Amino acid sequence: MSILAYNGAAMIGMAGDNCVGIAADTRLGAQAQTVACTFQKTFKISDTIFVGLAGLGSDVQTLSQTLKFRKNLYELKEERTMKPKVFSAMLSTLLYEKRFGPYFIEPIVCGLQDGVPFLSGMDLIGAPVFTDDFVVSGTCTANLFGTCESLYKPSQNPDELFETLSQCLLASVDRDALSGWGGVVHIITKEGVRTRELKGRQD
Amino acid sequence: MSEFLDQSTPSSAPSGFDFSLSHRNATLSSDSKSSINMVAKKTGTTIVGTVFDGGVVLGADTRATAGSEVADKFCEKIHYLAPNIYCCGAGTAADTEKTTELISSQLSLLRMSTQSPSRVVTACTMLKRMLFRYQGHVSAALVLGGCDISGPHVFQIYPHGSTGKLPYTTMGSGSLAAMSVFENEWKENMSESEAVDIVQKAITAGIFNDLGSGSNCDVTIIRLDGTVEIRRGALKENPVEPLRSMINRSSKFTMGKGTTAVLKDTFVKAKKGGEEDMVTD
Amino acid sequence: MGDSAYSFSLTTFSRTGKLLQIEYALNAVSNGRCSLGIAAKDGVVIATDKKVSSTLIDVDEVQKIQSISPTSGFVYSGLGPDYRVLTRSARKNSAAYERTYGEAQPITQTVKQTASLMQEYTQSGGVRPFGCSVLAAGFDEDGEPKLFQVDPSGAYFGWRATAIGKGFVNAKSFLEKRVTSEILLEDAVHTCLLTLRESFEGEINGKNIEVGVLEKGGGFRILKEEEVNDYLNEAN
Repeated sequence: MSILAYNGAAMIGMAGDNCVGIAADTRLGAQAQTVACTFQKTFKISDTIFVGLAGLGSDVQTLSQTLKFRKNLYELKEERTMKPKVFSAMLSTLLYEKRFGPYFIEPIVCGLQDGVPFLSGMDLIGAPVFTDDFVVSGTCTANLFGTCESLYKPSQNPDELFETLSQCLLASVDRDALSGWGGVVHIITKEGVRTRELKGRQD
Repeated sequence: MSEFLDQSTPSSAPSGFDFSLSHRNATLSSDSKSSINMVAKKTGTTIVGTVFDGGVVLGADTRATAGSEVADKFCEKIHYLAPNIYCCGAGTAADTEKTTELISSQLSLLRMSTQSPSRVVTACTMLKRMLFRYQGHVSAALVLGGCDISGPHVFQIYPHGSTGKLPYTTMGSGSLAAMSVFENEWKENMSESEAVDIVQKAITAGIFNDLGSGSNCDVTIIRLDGTVEIRRGALKENPVEPLRSMINRSSKFTMGKGTTAVLKDTFVKAKKGGEEDMVTD
Repeated sequence: MGDSAYSFSLTTFSRTGKLLQIEYALNAVSNGRCSLGIAAKDGVVIATDKKVSSTLIDVDEVQKIQSISPTSGFVYSGLGPDYRVLTRSARKNSAAYERTYGEAQPITQTVKQTASLMQEYTQSGGVRPFGCSVLAAGFDEDGEPKLFQVDPSGAYFGWRATAIGKGFVNAKSFLEKRVTSEILLEDAVHTCLLTLRESFEGEINGKNIEVGVLEKGGGFRILKEEEVNDYLNEAN
């Protein structure tokens, strides 16, 4: 078994109409044994950038701290806010630096750049994928791709986007033993971020 | 002068790889419970390049895979190296992406200090030296093409650093399918449209006969007169939009408001410009 | 370095609180050939006098304006070899920035990094300060054309128009009278040439001056000899 799947994770980033959403499960396991069901895997980088880190739990926490540090430092140095595209490039560089001793993380980046959705996903050594519909990551990507391909619609409003994201996530994790046990969805709009905790199966 | 440099906050990108996690990762993989199978994204790929009378044509499919899963249906595999040089990449996606990015950056520095356009052999030598240094661990298989003062050139570069200068070449998992087209149809002194046709046909052979290759066909033409034409999705054999719009979804698939059970709902207003925006925890 | 007899910093405070080495460095700058620049609304122009000391020197091999990235350029007054160290570092930093963040480095950052390097050489052991001031042309983070000056002390300034090197005081007061916030690039190029001509010893032409132009939305370009001559002819 790959170390990437040791703790289990499922996450989706999806674009809507002038809004973007990120959904993730909250399980932390040691392989089949569930250790916690409130593990944070999505992180707010700024009002318009969220990052989801799927993979090894310890690296999720290390990397989230490093990313916040690098983002804060950038904003102090350059006296301007970081754009999602720049954040994504920085993350990719960060991961590739460790090409031969990587963090076991497959991240997704969701953000609003001048009000327009930005989505990117990466493998553990920083090869980026840019999309304008959805990105997925975690231990049940096949399930997530399936649900997203069938339920995704272009230009959904924030409320529709929330329901679609939630149902895609919940349906996917129900067929994956390593992820689930609750979920969290952030919907990012120009006005702010709405965060909802989902009721999920606890098995 | 290092006392003035804050080591913890690199102001620019480091010049090499960081092996600080290698020991930890080796320990993790020696743990009997788990092994470290790197599942880095690959570009199971068909890439080709050929010279013709007035320049070079490069071609690539647009599928990126992670294991047997399609990770990206419309990725770019023809990378920019210099205004007159482009490079197709096969192998580990991150390696091809970052290697070409690095060499492109070095070429631009070289152009600034020599004040002359880059040559294709220079790009080839820089790439092969980098790949040889990493003994094949940077797994990038490349088809390099471009025009310089000595004419149009195509090179193939293997991940270990060996190279070949050829009139036409194919690389990646679909290289055999693509090469069959070239061996059958390639001839000397082709016109541009003939060259583009063969390239498209070769890529199509890869897309349909190799599982690692798929989606669309990208073509880049670099001409001797200095012009470059990038035809992104020159052939779209497998378009997504019509397939998606063919799906007639029942209204039951449209989730109404309140479908999902929510335990907690919070809203954080965005800060106005100029306000402090330092994230902590 | 480290244990040599000269490993202390040469740049030490005098009793009056001055750093004499830095003042000497500034003298080296004002002895150098004059360079100037104007940040117009739609671009930046930098120009320099590159008159050589002997007719035997091949002027074609003298180049004072250097591009740092496709969208920025430097020019200097003072010691040429010291300037080369600065351009090399700026080019590397600029390229590394672009690789890390996926976008061109704003000139403000290039200037800050160059200034940091110059400051380092005022406080380190075994070295002397840089003997040149630099004018930097580029775009800021919003894509606006900007002109900066960096001094051997590591101080940097943003200018609408400025001059460094021999006769910089006169050149600056000349510019003050002619440059407004509304000035456009074409006009700025002419004003630059006019200012250079004011203090120029002898006939000014495409061979003995150098002009670099950065157009808003475009790239940085060093004008060819004929182009400079065309501008000069227009003025006549």
